[in-house]
Order: sequence, then structure tokens, then C-alpha cells
Amino acid sequence: MNNILLLEDLPEIRAWLKSLVAQVFPTATITECSRVQDALVQVASGVKFDLALLDLGLPDGSGTDVVAALRDTQPDAQSVIVTIHDDDEHLFPALQAGAYGYILKEQSRELITEQLTRISSGEPPLSPSIARKVIKYFASQGQPTANAMPAVSLTERESEVLLRVAKGYTLPEIGVQLGLSRHTIADYVKQIYRKLNVSSRAEAALEAQRLGLFRR
Amino acid sequence: MPCPAAPIDVATHRPAARRAGSRWLAWLLCAWVCSWAFGLGSAHAQTSVPAPQLTLSRAMAVAVPPNAEIDWSKARPVALPNEWTAQWPGASRMAAYRFGFNGHGDDGPLMGLYIERACSTLIVRLNGALVYQGGQMVEPVTRQCQQPQLVTLPAAMVRNGPNVLELIVRGHAPGEVASSLRAGGLSPVRLAAFDALAPEFKRRIALSIRLPEVISGTLVLMGGFMFLLGWFHRKQSYLAYFGALMIGWALLLSRLWLSDLPWSNLKTEIMLVWLLGFITLAGVQFLMRYAGRRLRALDIGLPLQCAVMALSLLAIDGSHLQTLAALWFVVLSLEMAAAAVFYLSQIRRKQRTQLWLMGPLLAVVGVALLTELLARQTQLDVRVGQVVQLVPALVLVILGLRLVQQYGRALQSAEAGRAELEIRIRDATTQIERNFAQLAELKVEQVTDRERKRIAGDLHDDLGAKLLTIVHTSESERISTLAREALEEMRLSVRGLTGKPVRLADALGDWRAEVVSRLAQAGVEADWTAPSDEDVPKTLSARAFVQTTRILREAVSNVIKHSGATHCTIRCTIAEGDFQLKVQDNGKGIPAELDGRLDKGHGMASMKGRAKQLQGQCLVESGPGYGTVIRLTLPLDRHVTTT
Repeated sequence: MNNILLLEDLPEIRAWLKSLVAQVFPTATITECSRVQDALVQVASGVKFDLALLDLGLPDGSGTDVVAALRDTQPDAQSVIVTIHDDDEHLFPALQAGAYGYILKEQSRELITEQLTRISSGEPPLSPSIARKVIKYFASQGQPTANAMPAVSLTERESEVLLRVAKGYTLPEIGVQLGLSRHTIADYVKQIYRKLNVSSRAEAALEAQRLGLFRR
Repeated sequence: MPCPAAPIDVATHRPAARRAGSRWLAWLLCAWVCSWAFGLGSAHAQTSVPAPQLTLSRAMAVAVPPNAEIDWSKARPVALPNEWTAQWPGASRMAAYRFGFNGHGDDGPLMGLYIERACSTLIVRLNGALVYQGGQMVEPVTRQCQQPQLVTLPAAMVRNGPNVLELIVRGHAPGEVASSLRAGGLSPVRLAAFDALAPEFKRRIALSIRLPEVISGTLVLMGGFMFLLGWFHRKQSYLAYFGALMIGWALLLSRLWLSDLPWSNLKTEIMLVWLLGFITLAGVQFLMRYAGRRLRALDIGLPLQCAVMALSLLAIDGSHLQTLAALWFVVLSLEMAAAAVFYLSQIRRKQRTQLWLMGPLLAVVGVALLTELLARQTQLDVRVGQVVQLVPALVLVILGLRLVQQYGRALQSAEAGRAELEIRIRDATTQIERNFAQLAELKVEQVTDRERKRIAGDLHDDLGAKLLTIVHTSESERISTLAREALEEMRLSVRGLTGKPVRLADALGDWRAEVVSRLAQAGVEADWTAPSDEDVPKTLSARAFVQTTRILREAVSNVIKHSGATHCTIRCTIAEGDFQLKVQDNGKGIPAELDGRLDKGHGMASMKGRAKQLQGQCLVESGPGYGTVIRLTLPLDRHVTTT
């Protein structure tokens, strides 16, 4: 980890998060922002970010916009949502925009540290309600559409994982149940996030085309 | 003008019923005609029955000057029927006829004299003695032109051998009456046994007096009824005109059976002619309005014509009445014919179904009137004259029934329409109310949702941010924990605000994920059992979800914080309509001194309170060294809706 973007409007929390991140990634350069506009400027400045910790509810917008900007310009950057909202209403759009997981801000330093480590090492979390929403999303994507859209669908295994997460099983438990390693399960979850993003982007593009926003 | 539209519409809408009604009318007409034919036929049959009888068709006749004795020396032979002319018997309007016959004295049966027509009335003398007087011989003269007479010849007065029979007839010259049917004259007379003549006499009376009487009565009743019907329903004004037409015709018919009037013959004749004008007015207006047309010209012209008629009739010299009447009759007939043609052409374009009844009926009336016109000028069979006079009346009765039927049907359909409309209005009202309620509900929902989002946003941005700051800046671990719990509580409260029901299966998934990961973090082995998705096809109200989450969270917190357990079993079951949750640990249990007091630190009181709020119960079993069992029971029917 070389460059880390930190977007948080509350100074105390920002300071706290910064110290936490600095502890997890001692060698990284941390860029702090308190507004969405600043973060977007940073993203556009050409600095290659490896990780971005983004708050959702900011005075001038949502961290989701930054997620999308990063996804477009720096596909390798990992966006992680750090928020006080645990409901899918807030989280799902960010995940669709390309975020790789989320962390609830009020958790203990140890827990956040652990989750951050896991996410950066490729083990994003997945809550039952998000899993249910993803299942529902892909079920609705399964409907045949008039336009020839590159079909992005989940594999049987990915669906299986999602279903089990929805029922409240933890990822390690699912690994045991399916006889798969922890890394394999994590890969499935990453695939699910990726497919969610790809499918959402395709959908958005299609929608834009439908609305005549695409001009070539 | 929409007046006849209603019955006509009904007729076209319900062809089957209309056909049935028409058939009924046809049968009625048929029955009338049959009975008529039978009556005539049997009358003929009766006359052909051989009986000792004598038809006297030749007589000696003499004009009788007013207030003078009969001068038989001036008598001349005439053939019967003898129709009077303007010249004969002249201004006296009285003639005497003398017949001779051979009697059988007391030996034979009671003799009768049958006079089919003696217009307008007569006196019968036998051998110089008065045996019969039909009516008043001076003005107002009794009107018995249509009425056959049967005179009994008392046996005591009939001589054995030659007898002299004298008939003195009082009548009017053809010019003085509107129709030659009522001009003075005498038909052949028949002399026979009384018993042989009586049946035919009765039949003729029935046919020419009683039947017109009955028809007149029927016409007056129906006409009055229909007139009132049309009067009060101005849209059906054709009914009023038809009613007037019927009443007019009833009055016209009364000339057949009304014999004694308190005014002179001339006045009666003038009234009868004028009545034709009124009938034409009613008839033409009826046809026009029934066809759906209302012409202002007719509204003014026809009453004006009636007035002109009255003036012309009053102005004319009495001896030219027939000529004037014939003139008017032609004019009025042409008007009626024109109206009929107009009507038929109208309905031919609008609805052909009406044609089949009205066409023949109008044709029958036309033929009848034409025949009557001929009868006025020439002498036709008396019976033909009578039939001709009655046919239009019968047509009127049939048409009247048809109109009443149409009216009834229109009324029925209007009633049905009204009932249907009422139902529709009620349905529409219900729908509007329902829509309004839904709209209001939707509005409330929208407002609630917006408000919830606003409150949630405020809570997160303001309270959440502050709590978060406390969580991460407080030096005290206890304060951090409390703030964290407060934040979780706040989040749950916000979720409870949504009011959206949660699928029980989803809730179980959320609970499992939270409980298992929390216990795992605390190093407690978790054993979670819950029914599979198929067994929980229910949704939980947001409130029940939030409260149960809190209870479960509290129970798990107790296990982690206080029990010192290494293993925790959570059993979720649905049985007998209850949702049961059992949290059992293998910890040290609740200390004896705390048992029963349910200290705040363990949150037992709040757990029990929350269970109670949900009409459920929360039981805690514990003993030192035996671990703790928390049983939560919720009655599902109060908190779920079946999906």
C-alpha cells in the first residue's frame, strides 16, 4: 500500500481513522479529504491510489461518487466504504458503483483493523441483507431484455454462497459447509462484488443509451 | 323531438319480447274478427231458418204534411227499401207506408213485425190502432236509424183475413244529415212469428247497439287513461293526443246507440261533423308526434281548422249539410292520409320493426274511411256500414293496447336503467371512496417515508456523528461501549421507523449473522438452529422485528459479558402459532443474590418489558453453575401477516 485516500468530514473521526490506517499500513501515504469535491480532485490529479476509505454521507455529496470516479479512472484502487449506515439502502449503490466492502465506523479499533486487513488482503465482508439484495438484483437481471446486453450472471457456486450468507451463515462457516478454503470463499465474494459492479455499469450504460445520453 | 324514442328503443332492444307482444295483439285482433264473422254468419243462418214469414218489400206510400191526417188517396206504390230524397216526402219529413197481409186470428203464433231500418223513428198501426211508437216524432226526433225494431202484433188485434199495417216514419232529407246512412228511409219489413224474429233482432241489437256501446266505453276509459298519461308525461305527448283521438272516436260512435238527445237533429249532425275535425286534429298530431316530429304549423293550423269548421257549419243552410260534410270529410281524410304517409315514411327510415303493425292498422283505417266515404254518397249494405264504423274503433283499441304496452315497457326499462344507474353510482362512489382512501394512505405513507428519512438522516448526521465521536475519542472503555450500544440502538430505532414488515426468514438470517459473529468474536461457540425458509412463510412487523432484535442482542450481550460461558445454543422454533427463541449458555448462571431482582446490568427487566409489549413473554431460568436459559415466546398472529 502506497497511497491511501481517506474521505471523512468529522475531524475527530478522520484523525482516528488516519491513525488506525497508519497503524495497519505504516508505509502508506494518506491523503485526507473532508469533502467529495476534494476527493474527486485528488482522484483526477493522477495520484495512483491503492486504497480509498470513503464515508457516504458528506455535506457536499456521497462517497459513492468517488467510488464511481475511482472505478472509472483507477480500476485497481480498492474502494472501501466507512460509514455509520448499515442499511442496504445506503450501501448497495456504493457496492454497485464498485466498492469492495464496507466497514461500520462505530466498531472497535481492533475489529475495524481486522476488517481492513481482510479487505485489503482480498476478503471483503458480506452481510445477509446485502446478500439478499444482490440475489434480488441478479434475479431481476435474469429477465430477458430486448437489448442485447452482455449477460452477467452468477455461477452456481456464487449463488450458493449468496444464499447461505442471506440465511445468516458466516463466510468461514460456508467454507466449511461447501468444503472450500477461506480464500476460495473470499474469491467468490469478490467475484460477486465485481459482477454486481459490471452488471450495474452495463445497466447504467444501457439506461443512458436508452435515454439518448450516449452520443458517438 | 325525442318523445317516441323511448318506446321505440325498447322495441328494438328487446325484439323477442316485442314479438311476443305483437303475437298477442295479433291473436286479439284475430279473435275479434272471428267473433265478428261468426256473429254475421250465424245471423245469416238464422234468417235462413224456415218459418212462416212474409217479407213485405212493396208498400203504398204517402207524404204526411205536418199536423195533418194521412191522406191515403194520394198514396203511390213504392219498393222497399225506400230511401228518401230531398223531394220526397218533402218538407214534412214524414211518410206513411201501408201494407196489407192475411192474418190467422187467434189461431196462429204471436206475430211480430221486424223492421231492420226505419230512419229516424216510426209509429206502427195495425188496422188503425196504434201498436208501437219508436220515439219522439217531432224535434228533437229520436235517432234510431241504426237500430232495428221488433214490434209485437197483439193477437187480439190481428184479424182473421186481410189486415192493414201502417208505418209512419219520421226522418230527414239526405241534405240535412252528414251521412246518407242517417237519411230518412224504410227497409223491407218482415212479418213472422215473434219467436222466429226475436233471435235475429237480439243479434242485430247486440251488433249495432251493444257492441258500439261497449267499444265506446272502452275507448273512453282507455282514452281518458292515456290522455292523462300523456298529459302528465309531456315527453310522451303523443299519448295525450291518442287519448283525445280515442275519446273523440267514442263520441262519434255514440251516434250509433244514443237515440234521444235534448237538442235538434241539425245540432247533432253539426256536432258530429265538427267532431271529425277534432278527431283529425288528435289523429294527425298523434301520428306526427309518434313519428318524433313536432310541427309548429300543425300546432296552430289544426285548432284553427276546427274553428273554421265550426264557423262554416254554423253559417251553412241546414239543407246543404251533407255536401259541406262530404267536403270536409274529404279534406280531413286527406290530412289524415298525409299524416299516415308521413308517419310510415318516417318509421320506415328509423325502425322497420314498427311498420308491420302500424302499416296494416293504418291501411285498415284507410279502407274503412274510404268505405264510409262511399257509404255517405251511395247506399251500401247496412251491415257493411256498421262494420266500417266499428273497424277504426277496434284499430284504436289495439293501437291503444300497443301504446300502453310500449309505455309500460319503457317505464320498466327506465326503471331498470335507473336501478342500474343507482348501482353504478354506488359502485363508482365506493370506488372513489376507496381510491381516495388509498390515495390518502399513499400520501400518508409518502409523507411518513419522507419524514422517516429526514429523521433518520438527522439522527445519523447529528446524533450519530456525536455518538461516533464519543465512541472513538472517549478515554473510558465503558463510555465507548455505551455510546456504541446507543448508536446501535439508534440505528435499530430508525429501522423500526420504516414500519416495513420484515420476512421472518430474512430476520432469522440477520439475527444469525449477528449472533454468531458476535459470539465468535467473544470466543463463545455458537449453536444456532432455526426452521428452514419453507417453514416460515411469514412476515414480522417492523416493531416486532426491532424489539426481538433488541431482546436477542441483550441476551447475547449477557452471555458474552456475564456468563463466562464457552458454548451457547440458540433455538428458534415456530409452534402452535408462537415464535419461540431459546438462548441457553453453559456459563455460571445468574448469581443467587440477583435472581428475582433482575438487575439492570443484565437487562432482564427491559427484555421482559419488551416481550410484554409484544404480548409475549420472556422467561429466565438460571441457577448458579447451571448456566442460563432465556425463553422468549411471541404470539405470531399478532405480529405477522401471511405472505
